[in-house]
Amino acid sequence: MKSKEELLKKLSDCVFEMEDEEVVDVVREYIECVYDPQEGMLGGLVDGMKRASELYEEGEYFVPELIVCSDAMYAGIEEFQKYLPESEHTSIGRVAIGVVEGDTHDIGKNLVRIMLETGGFDVYDLGRDVPVERFVDYVRENDVDILCMSSLMTTTMPGMGAVIERLKEEGLRDKVKIMVGGAPVSPAFAERIGADGYTKSAIEAVAFAKKIIVAA
Amino acid sequence: MLTPKERLKMILEGRQADRPACICPGGMMNMVTSELMDRVKVYMPEAHTDARQMAKLAKAVYEEGCFENYGVPFCMTVEAEEMGAKVDMGTNVYEPHVTGYVIDSVSEVSKLKPVDLAAGRAKVVLDAIRILKKETADVPIVGNLTGPISTAGSVMEPVTFYKELRKKNQEAHRYMEFITEQLIAFGRAQIEAGADLIAVSDPSGTGEILGPKYFKEFAVTYINRLLDALQEEKMGTIVHICGQMSPVYKEVNEVKSSALSFDSIVPMKEAREHLKDRVLMGNVSTYALEFGDPERVKMLTRSCVKSGSDIISPACGLGMKSPLGNVQAILAGLTEEEECRRGQDQ
Repeated sequence: MKSKEELLKKLSDCVFEMEDEEVVDVVREYIECVYDPQEGMLGGLVDGMKRASELYEEGEYFVPELIVCSDAMYAGIEEFQKYLPESEHTSIGRVAIGVVEGDTHDIGKNLVRIMLETGGFDVYDLGRDVPVERFVDYVRENDVDILCMSSLMTTTMPGMGAVIERLKEEGLRDKVKIMVGGAPVSPAFAERIGADGYTKSAIEAVAFAKKIIVAA
Repeated sequence: MLTPKERLKMILEGRQADRPACICPGGMMNMVTSELMDRVKVYMPEAHTDARQMAKLAKAVYEEGCFENYGVPFCMTVEAEEMGAKVDMGTNVYEPHVTGYVIDSVSEVSKLKPVDLAAGRAKVVLDAIRILKKETADVPIVGNLTGPISTAGSVMEPVTFYKELRKKNQEAHRYMEFITEQLIAFGRAQIEAGADLIAVSDPSGTGEILGPKYFKEFAVTYINRLLDALQEEKMGTIVHICGQMSPVYKEVNEVKSSALSFDSIVPMKEAREHLKDRVLMGNVSTYALEFGDPERVKMLTRSCVKSGSDIISPACGLGMKSPLGNVQAILAGLTEEEECRRGQDQ
């Protein structure tokens, strides 16, 4: 029987080295040894994703690599979840994320979602080309700590401001923290539309989300 | 006085003109604003599907003193739509965007239909170019193409596409070859119809997204294949690449376009240092154009010129609500400078 540490390292390596098929076998091996699934996810899979994101930050990994790593992580998590009681789910905060109306570019949004999930957040993905009212309805009807919005086009950017205005009108603005991002978005724009913050990368978004959730 | 066409031609050939040119190509680099549409009473989304309206709106961009070029189309979905993607035509403020992909994997490339240049919106664009060619003379006509990587990521889910660059490398190349052939056919037809320049924008094919290895292997390779296949007699080509250039300056320099264009995140000074012998285009902040005032725009324009930009242009195109006064301030700033310089010379 392999030691827990050995298997955790192997899980982490599978994600880090983009082995999205092998990872499922390692998860099964880990489970057969009756080690703690929660620890397998955090100390193994998520650890591998964190290592991948470090390389991304250093400019060694890029989007194709990160996507394959995250596929491996999710494949492993899916396997683990078969053995996890529902109640053992832990989360440091709830996030809703979406690309604003008129815009279907969601690579950046997907990366932010992956990184936030890796960072321990519960993320609800509203998708792309999301109408203003859909954001507002979601915030009204759900318990959300942070709303993340993005756009990749100069023509759709104002949609983020429109959501914030509508949240104000509905008296919902103070219910959530709001983060915005996307290629044409700048800190000045974020401030102008009344967002709580702008981050320029998916990695920074996680650090910022953790910061504002503690402050809240 | 040089005509806008003569000036741009000189600049693209690397010769000294009287002043930098001021253009906004169209395509991904949106140059239409709400105010402009009100002026000429031509509106999107109608202008995306009617050649006469498209040409009229393109003309307004020059006639209202915004930029010294015509350009069509006003979106980057024509190629994908003609290959079978579902496109929402947008509204008067949102551009058309892809809402339904055609295939699930690069290995399904044989399911795609080639672009039919005699039908659909490809024909609308070509007809609009013919109208512009027939009815105008001294202003350059820019035909726009969506770059190979961006087109590839509009026909199928981009996440899967990026992943398959790694996981199905050979098939990804075959897919890119097909995509590039379609772009070549459309680009050649645009030049035949009367386009003076071809501008290629590839926002999904950036060095930041792909990393240097895949940027070279996929973006540079297929952009160059496209550029090489266009007719000799055109005035030139422009390639716009979004995002930071710092990881990929070496690779960008291998792109064989007459001019390279960057967005505002790239400091023009830095680009000039790394790309000494290239014709550079850019990059007045899109944000300042929408939310700043004419004085600020003029200042940014002067700074672009000073930093070594040869063709002044909005960094990422225009936001729809940009005030006309701000947009016109780029060109106004350039001509004021020029008059001022002439005054000193005399």
